[in-house]
Amino acid sequence: MTDITVPAGLWNDGDEAAISAWLYADGDAVSEGSVIAEIMVEKSSFELTAPASGILHIAVAAETPVTAGEIVGHIG
Amino acid sequence: MSNRSDRLWMYGTMVKSRHFEALIKPAYFEGKTPVFNMAKGPLPGEMHLSDGQEPCAVGVCAHLRPGDTVTATHRPHHVAIAKGVNLDAMAAEIFGKATGLSGGRGGHMHLFDAHVNFACSGIIAQGLGPAVGAALASKLRGEDHVAVAFLGEGAANQGAFHEALNLASVWKVPVLFVIEDNAYGISVAKRDCTAVARNADRAAAYAMPGHFIPGNDPDAVYAVAGEAIARARRGEGPSLIEIETCRLEGHFMGDAEAYRPAGEVERLKAADPIPAYRDRLLADGFDAADLDKAETDARAAVDAAFAAARAAAYPQPEEAFDHVFA
Amino acid sequence: MSSPETITAPRPARRLTIARAISEAIGQEMERDPAVLVMGEDIGKLGGVFGTTTGLLEKFGAERVRDTPISETAFIGAAVGLAASGMRPIAELMFVDFFGVCMDAIYNLAAKQSYFSGGQVTCPMVLMTSVGGGYGDAGQHSQTLYATFGHLPGLKVVIPSNAHDAKGLMLAAIRDPNPVIFMYHKALQGMGWLGTVQRSITDAPEGDYVVPLGKAAIAREGSDITLVGLGLSVHHALDAAARLEKQGHSAEVIDLRSIAPLDRETVRASVRKTGRLLAVDDDYMSYGVGAEIIASVCEAGIPLRAAPRRIAHPDIPVPFTPVMEHFVLPDADKIAAAALTILEP
Repeated sequence: MTDITVPAGLWNDGDEAAISAWLYADGDAVSEGSVIAEIMVEKSSFELTAPASGILHIAVAAETPVTAGEIVGHIG
Repeated sequence: MSNRSDRLWMYGTMVKSRHFEALIKPAYFEGKTPVFNMAKGPLPGEMHLSDGQEPCAVGVCAHLRPGDTVTATHRPHHVAIAKGVNLDAMAAEIFGKATGLSGGRGGHMHLFDAHVNFACSGIIAQGLGPAVGAALASKLRGEDHVAVAFLGEGAANQGAFHEALNLASVWKVPVLFVIEDNAYGISVAKRDCTAVARNADRAAAYAMPGHFIPGNDPDAVYAVAGEAIARARRGEGPSLIEIETCRLEGHFMGDAEAYRPAGEVERLKAADPIPAYRDRLLADGFDAADLDKAETDARAAVDAAFAAARAAAYPQPEEAFDHVFA
Repeated sequence: MSSPETITAPRPARRLTIARAISEAIGQEMERDPAVLVMGEDIGKLGGVFGTTTGLLEKFGAERVRDTPISETAFIGAAVGLAASGMRPIAELMFVDFFGVCMDAIYNLAAKQSYFSGGQVTCPMVLMTSVGGGYGDAGQHSQTLYATFGHLPGLKVVIPSNAHDAKGLMLAAIRDPNPVIFMYHKALQGMGWLGTVQRSITDAPEGDYVVPLGKAAIAREGSDITLVGLGLSVHHALDAAARLEKQGHSAEVIDLRSIAPLDRETVRASVRKTGRLLAVDDDYMSYGVGAEIIASVCEAGIPLRAAPRRIAHPDIPVPFTPVMEHFVLPDADKIAAAALTILEP
């Protein structure tokens, strides 16, 4: 089981970020390194890549605010 | 040197314009969190703020009458305010309300106020031809009205710019072309896409005077624009002025501005033209109380306009079909 | 370069947004073919306002990925010249609404190179451009203009509804010896700040593949009514079809994918089966895609169980204020309601 963590240092502290879209559904198979979600800070997009291959489990839904270092799901 | 009441007017109008943008900004972001979805909130769509460019608008419009025509761009608020566009109707239009300048049909990039002959457009350089036409109308009718077309430095690379300047000279019409050079299109710097360093030099190609005004200085703009407008009113033809200004916000709201070098925005904000002008007026003997009053009045007018805009009703959807034709 | 997919080697799905699919296609073709270059406003450092060229400047450099001045007539004209000289340029027109300043280079020049030269000179050029509204960008930044471009001879015109088709159509477009207008709908780019249509984020193989120009796709099979859409209206039609199913009606949804050449045969075959037709698009109504679809079916003499209908944006400028804009734009509700008038007269 590998945690999916929002990377730190991509945007300024204090800017609000949110997952704008999960590219896969809960329960889909994903490959390590593939882009699995997009995080938006204002109009900028950052990619969230899968840290491992396996089945995606989403813990934080799209359009929910997230912070750097937060665990938003895991791959099992 | 500009006369006293004009200088006070310029200061108050710059404050009014900046306060307008200051109220737009949080309103724009309402409803657009946590995910920035442009469609949401009371101000959907794009928003292009004019913070930093106020000197260009007031220095020119101080010389204009309601009968003079102004065309502006996708970044129109400071020019509209300086031209005397009805502030309540302007705010209401941006909020998409029935009491807006066009009942919500146009929005922020398509503000029209026929009472003061103001129009703006979202298509780069589109306003130049119409300014030539308005100037020709004045000439044909034997009036001494002028037309002013505002444009960005990026627009000086668009075909319509070159055609309009040539035609203005060929027809010898009373038009002034005002380039607000804020150094960037969206992300591309002027130096990376423009063959010449000074767009004012392009005026010579079209047989008209060209003036470059550095320093984002309302008094300097006032002096040069005054000359050009007087020249036009005397029937001596068009001019081009190029004003070095700055864009303190992103190209559009939400612009991450990654294309700007580190520290650039901070440096520009430190040279904000509005507090600088206040300091200069005080140094020139203006009374702080007069400046304070100008500020208070300006902010009050904007606050009232926004309150009215928020309170106003939206139009009926079926009204979308009105005014397609006259 | 990657080898073609084999049926015997299944792999996990690889989901992309349409924006990413476009930039991936361009990047892969630029690697494969040194004659390909891309130009437009803010397509370099910024990667395109709508994400179509993300990463390309870093990978290929400024000679092949060119930020242009705001000079559409000049750089699109230059693209035609590059194409005539054996290069394969991709130019971006930031918003299709801006075509007014440069249409001569497109419809009078690019579109007629092959014809005027009797086939001696071709124009293997792609003009990619954003279309569509629904997010308050008003009358000069929200148009689609499918009919305007579809109507003029010598242009191929495509619009994908999903990432898989976006990548395949772009690869086909770059390789086509003709000028191809590659339209991408802003609501479907997957940019987040324009909203996300989850269904447009689809699997797109990493390797090389094409989706042929001029071929429509059946997005959903059905038997009672044919719904024809393109770009965003495919998604509205699919949403409407799901609702119609709950009311006992089986709707077939066709994704045109190409405006020109138009795949009339796929539409006709579907209507021969269902006997009912509703065409939906978000361009202006009169002289539009819907009119062309209905004419294509009627002139083939296909027996219809009910009068055909079309839904489109009315013949008015796109209004700014949301109550007006959403009142006039097609959506799933309007499609379902119109379909029911056809199915249950």
